[in-house]
Amino acid sequence: MPSLHTPASGWQAACQADELLPGERKLVTLDGVEIALFNIAGAVFAINNRCPHRKGPLIRGYTDSAGGIKCPMHGWRFDLRTGQSRRPAQATTYRTKTEGGILYLALP
Amino acid sequence: MDVQNIETLIKDEYASFLRERDNWSLTAGPQDLELVAHALRVLLHARTTPDFLDDYRALVACQNVDGGWSPLSSDTESTVWVSAFCGLMLIRGNRSLQQAQLSQSVRQAIDYFLDTQHQDGRWVDPAWADLDTTSHPVSFFNVVMALGEPHRQQEVRRAWQQGMRFIIDNQSSDGGWYDEEFHPSGVEITAHLIQDALVADLVLGQQVSGVRAACAKGAGRLCDWQAQAGWWDEENIDHTMDCTRSLMLVTHILEDSDKRDTIMRGLSWILDNKNDHGWGDFPGMETNLERTCDGLDTLLKYQAYSRSETHAVVKLWGYLP
Repeated sequence: MPSLHTPASGWQAACQADELLPGERKLVTLDGVEIALFNIAGAVFAINNRCPHRKGPLIRGYTDSAGGIKCPMHGWRFDLRTGQSRRPAQATTYRTKTEGGILYLALP
Repeated sequence: MDVQNIETLIKDEYASFLRERDNWSLTAGPQDLELVAHALRVLLHARTTPDFLDDYRALVACQNVDGGWSPLSSDTESTVWVSAFCGLMLIRGNRSLQQAQLSQSVRQAIDYFLDTQHQDGRWVDPAWADLDTTSHPVSFFNVVMALGEPHRQQEVRRAWQQGMRFIIDNQSSDGGWYDEEFHPSGVEITAHLIQDALVADLVLGQQVSGVRAACAKGAGRLCDWQAQAGWWDEENIDHTMDCTRSLMLVTHILEDSDKRDTIMRGLSWILDNKNDHGWGDFPGMETNLERTCDGLDTLLKYQAYSRSETHAVVKLWGYLP
């Protein structure tokens, strides 16, 4: 794991890009926050791992081709881009970028 | 499964649960009422309800004016699922507490469910699938009828029958129930519907047609879904506890002993995946109180299931006085 950390921009290294190939998922912890990473057909998404409903682990959830993740506990679905849901909850998502073979997340 | 070991485990886990009291008791301040209801169910099945009268009074105090409850005790907008869980704990708890204030609260809850049912028999809650939501007022009404509560009796029976019919009419031909949005796998919802709603009819006098067949098909589907290792839904501890408990009750009422191995595999897996204290949502996850309440409830129900006393397990759903 690279130790790159650029606080000025808020970008933090999450993992090597080749650790998250299309169809794969990975759980990382940055600044004490569990973040679930998904690569859906080449598009990488990052979302707070704990469902805002009852803290179910989204890393074990069900993804769909529309870019959604459904919590394995009670089925609440969240848009991986925006964190929005039809349910009364909003998940936290993070911007991602890949540079030099490393996947970075924009943390607040 | 050594029943003596189960008893020791229950004692240990119950002591741990009590040490967490400030995190589930309404006497300590506002709480998540779904968690509170889970905790009250543990007290009921551990037969310690009389020691917690203040918790019940606090539950009455946070009942909304429409007779329902909110997901958070400090909120004022009622939702169906949590209201049914609270109402169920209240009517069952009041069997031993015998408080007029609690009886009045139960009647207000009955009013709430009669007021919120839809024309086609369903109840709706934004947080849950309609089928799952519907099973909870039906479950409350199961106990209302089992205990002979006289408040608006005819209306309760009619609403209950419509709710039951909505559930039966939506069973799939493979025996499971599904909800495309909330429960695509069907596991949790099927476990809920047969234990919390349908099977009670076989104890209450078989007033709805098709219940026995629906329960048998649902139980069969649950068995087909179990992994060889004993879990359901990709190692989901919550859903495995749901399925294990559901099969204990439903197969007992159906007098179907063939599914005992499935139940025992589920229970063994649950015990193998217990943390030092309590359970998490999945293996390796940190303990959370709600899952620990479910775990304790599963062990207490297994204890009843193992007893020679006929219908001991049915009493833990409240379908028999």
